[in-house]
Amino acid sequence: MNIPPSLVAGCLESTQPVKMVEWIRKIKDRRIFVILAVIGPGVIAGNAGNDAGGIATYSIVGAREGYGLLWVLVLITVALAVIQEMSSRMGVVTGKGFGDLVREQFGVKVTLAIMLLFIVANLTVTIAEFAGIAASMELFGVHKNISVPLAAFLVWLVVVKGNFKQVERFLLLISMTYLTYVVSGVMSNPPWHEVARQIALPRIRMDSDYILLFITMVGTTITPYMQFYLQSAVVDKGVRIEEYGYAKFDVYAGAFMTIFIAFFIVLATGTILHPAGIVVDSAEEAAQALQPLAGPFASHLFAVGLLNASVLAAFVLPLATAYGLSEAFGWESGVNKSFREAPQFLGFYTAFIVIGAGVIMIPDAPLIKIMFLSQTVNGVLLPFVLIIMLRLVNDPSVMGEYVNSRRMNIISWITVSILILLTVMLLVTSFMLA
Amino acid sequence: MPFFAGEIFVSEVYKKPVLDQTGEEIGKLKDVIVGLGEPFPAVTSVVISSGKDTYVVSWDMINLFNRRVISVNARMDVLKPAEAASSDILICRDLLDKQIVDINGAKLVRVNDLELGDVKGKLCLVAADIGLRGLLRRLGIEKRGEKILAVFKYKLQRKLIAWTYVQTVEPKLTRLTLTVSRQKVSSLHPADLAEIISEVSQKERTAIFGSLDVETAAEALHELEPRVQVDIIDDMSKERASDILELMPPDEAADVLGDLPEAKAQELINLMEKEEAEDVQELMEHEDNTAGGLMTTEFLAFPPDMTVEEAIKELRLEAPNVETIYYLYIVDQNEHVNGVVSLKNLILAMPQALLSDIMLTPVKTLPQDAEQKDVAEFVSKYNLLAAPVVDETGALRGIVTVDDVVDFLLPTASRKKRRKL
Repeated sequence: MNIPPSLVAGCLESTQPVKMVEWIRKIKDRRIFVILAVIGPGVIAGNAGNDAGGIATYSIVGAREGYGLLWVLVLITVALAVIQEMSSRMGVVTGKGFGDLVREQFGVKVTLAIMLLFIVANLTVTIAEFAGIAASMELFGVHKNISVPLAAFLVWLVVVKGNFKQVERFLLLISMTYLTYVVSGVMSNPPWHEVARQIALPRIRMDSDYILLFITMVGTTITPYMQFYLQSAVVDKGVRIEEYGYAKFDVYAGAFMTIFIAFFIVLATGTILHPAGIVVDSAEEAAQALQPLAGPFASHLFAVGLLNASVLAAFVLPLATAYGLSEAFGWESGVNKSFREAPQFLGFYTAFIVIGAGVIMIPDAPLIKIMFLSQTVNGVLLPFVLIIMLRLVNDPSVMGEYVNSRRMNIISWITVSILILLTVMLLVTSFMLA
Repeated sequence: MPFFAGEIFVSEVYKKPVLDQTGEEIGKLKDVIVGLGEPFPAVTSVVISSGKDTYVVSWDMINLFNRRVISVNARMDVLKPAEAASSDILICRDLLDKQIVDINGAKLVRVNDLELGDVKGKLCLVAADIGLRGLLRRLGIEKRGEKILAVFKYKLQRKLIAWTYVQTVEPKLTRLTLTVSRQKVSSLHPADLAEIISEVSQKERTAIFGSLDVETAAEALHELEPRVQVDIIDDMSKERASDILELMPPDEAADVLGDLPEAKAQELINLMEKEEAEDVQELMEHEDNTAGGLMTTEFLAFPPDMTVEEAIKELRLEAPNVETIYYLYIVDQNEHVNGVVSLKNLILAMPQALLSDIMLTPVKTLPQDAEQKDVAEFVSKYNLLAAPVVDETGALRGIVTVDDVVDFLLPTASRKKRRKL
């Protein structure tokens, strides 16, 4: 969003109103407006990766390891950017969602298998988001029986009643609220030299605690629903091929911002909780633990951040599912559509919110088991999604001249291989621990 | 000429082994190529894959083509590997799983399966399966799925879109566009349903009819050729058949019953509601192609001393039950026609005017034994939408509407053809 300095200077120098009008006209043609118009899907999808589970993971990583795992974030940024760029490119070039392409290129059997995993994975994550809403609001003394139905209604209403533009702006606004974590991180007043040293020269350990945290970090940040959502949102938005350069910027900005936020979460808990030797197991525990050490403001910022993250993902997950299923079965879809035009799309969206919120309202719901199922199913799904994605993005009958370049393929295959390896390791270890 | 079963779904033959003359396996069926024919594209060749090689075998060279066996009328060694031309339409590659959009571009569903069927002796692409049944068939669990769903009291229905509703397909298409809007898809016009029904085998036909609601079935039945109608009625339960007949206009029901064996027809008439049964019985007594046989007994008849206002009120009540509301016949106690009032004149008249004041006289009528040709000429000569039919005493017995004689008014070539099997 950089305005060229010459333009700013030109504006300041001009005193005549005519020149001012001319300047406004000029700037309207400028790239910044195109960027602002195209930006959205990448930033939203990326930030949705920092959902309730993501916040919890980063809080735990900081509390347990201090700055010891910050270097991993650099790797995740690259991986996220590479994967999301391919999703976005497929959406722009084909005008079709991931569900569309899987059905058309891989047939009914593969599609049904993927969709079945996708529904289970997303439903469990949606439940986790409403759990995040309940937990964060309880820190403010609001009972879940009030906060969860209210949040569910809001999430439902915005998408059902709003058009694409309004919904996207709303989600972008929520994405910006993540910056509360940056405030928390800076307020914790970290020793910046030490932070920089640990990122540049990490002391990598080979014990199981360290490795498990490493894998969990990666697994929680790169999830199938982000790819589905991104590609579908790009299509629903109608980004054209000429605008692809800006869409790419959107994706990279999203990946950067996502990890930028994650960085400050780790920084906050790493600076305050780690030296005090306080071990936390969840995001709400982290928020509570901050209170005596950093004051109520820091604690509240963390709670607001968790609420915000949960709400954003509570939008994105049901949307991603509704998009994916509608594409796979060829039903009309789109945020702009009414219930009459796209009954299945909005039906699934509604059902996901109702079930997600409903489970949280049940007293003594087996949330731990649901989260375990969530992690497992997402872990099983991710390798398939990534491999299918690489095959699609390299198929000239799908992508035409926009197939991966050789260099891109090397980078993406390495990324995907590492991700798959880590995911399998995560699955194995979580089963061993269970 | 290849020998094939009546109807085949592509998923049932996909990847099935293809044998040569000597029974040796050439490879697996990979795809089916169709021409650009209208309305149903005919199969022109099949694509067989064997390892890395593919063969394109012309349809004329196919010997057997059914769910169990596909065989080629040649020896394997005369076949040369070849690729399908880029302008060909391969139905698995180009049509299966593709998005179906309606005429306005709204997405509906995807092509779950494709039905091939016999059209005038050629195997043609006749319909796209868009239902759950098609999806289960693709997974190879159609029968099992049906049984499991039956446990939950869910009847697995056939959901097909006749290929006549699909706009011409071109090579490299990305979506199939229908010629109708999405609202219409759920209620395909009975005449076109009839078209697809006459393309499928007897067994299938009964199944399709079984899945239609009574009203749609009633409308669709009339569009079929008499022999097909008889087959369908014969296969149906008597209760359902009589329900359908009741809903048909009496003249059409009489036509259908007239083609059935007498005992069966009488049995069905006895099952019908008394009022409808009487109408039908009366019509059946007339020769098929006379005014008496063509007419419907449902028409609007009012006394001359009724006011326009009352007539309009009455018209509203009666309108749903009659075939045409454009003519109101004015009859006396003896049912003699005194005059006629057109709907237009009725609406334009003062509310308090009497029908006898505004009616047109005299009214031309037809005897019941008038030939179809004469009826057509009569309608044409006086520019009528319906012609009144009277008995020997001059009492009004029914009307012949223009749609029953329109075939006679048109040149031979453009006459509506009753679909044959």
